[in-house]
Amino acid sequence: MGKFIRWLGRTFGSKKKRCPEEQRCLELVRLMLDEESTPEDNAYVLNHIDKCYQCYDNYDIEKAIREAVKKKNRKAKIPHEVVNEIRNKINLA
Amino acid sequence: MAYRQRLAAFFDNFEAMSKSTLASGAEDKKAALFEREFLPHLEALYNFALKLTLNADDAKDLLQETCLKAYRFIDSYKDGTNAKAWLFRIMKNGFINDYRKKSKQPGMVDYADVEYMQEGTQEAVYNLRPDMIRGKLGDEITNALDSLGVDFRTVIILCDLEGFKYEEMAEILEIPIGTVRSRLHRARTMLKEKLADYAAKMGYK
Ligand SMILES: [Zn+2]
Repeated sequence: MGKFIRWLGRTFGSKKKRCPEEQRCLELVRLMLDEESTPEDNAYVLNHIDKCYQCYDNYDIEKAIREAVKKKNRKAKIPHEVVNEIRNKINLA
Repeated sequence: MAYRQRLAAFFDNFEAMSKSTLASGAEDKKAALFEREFLPHLEALYNFALKLTLNADDAKDLLQETCLKAYRFIDSYKDGTNAKAWLFRIMKNGFINDYRKKSKQPGMVDYADVEYMQEGTQEAVYNLRPDMIRGKLGDEITNALDSLGVDFRTVIILCDLEGFKYEEMAEILEIPIGTVRSRLHRARTMLKEKLADYAAKMGYK
């Protein structure tokens, strides 16, 4: 159901007319994805994004950016000589 | 090899050896603590250094400096507390000190102070779709993150790449937790705006 309502909004709604709760919702979405939100925050967000396509898209974009940041900034392996150099310096410090 | 050189090498060696045997008890303990508590975080620290300096040589120097500092001040580390956060704080402070020195040089601009908002950015943000981020934007993600001012870049790295909680970030950055929250929010908005600009330039289809 939520999916259909969001599709309606996305297809026929105006992009210029923004959801009045957008900023607040985005803040709470970010807290939720960071696992720093309260259960009440989560309940509000989940209920709201089910009905509001703009806020749902914001939520989806936030998730996509996080995934991409993690994927595209893979951990570099530390060169062995760097570790050895540090070990040597510490042992003689 | 010249006799003199060999003699110098011998004395260097001798000095190092006697130093380590003299203070061996306390030093051994320190080294063991370092090995056990700090070394497991070396790779994370190295990656943080890379993201701060954006340069492999500078990152190596920063990492080394951080480790030596950590070792020197190891007595002020409380065993069993959050070693990773403690080390990250030392690195952040080391970097900021260097960075301040450099940014006082003429010609260096602190981009963190410049609010990023191009003409048409807001519209680009509204047109941004999740599948563009998942599909088309590859290296742009890294470029966008690296181009944020260091304060904003740092909070995203600590949160998304290192998985620190806000409370730990507050400890590392030595700022109130409310500031962590608002800075992170702003950083995420700036990152999204940059990505939206990239997407707009590439065309939306
Ligand atoms: Zn909404």
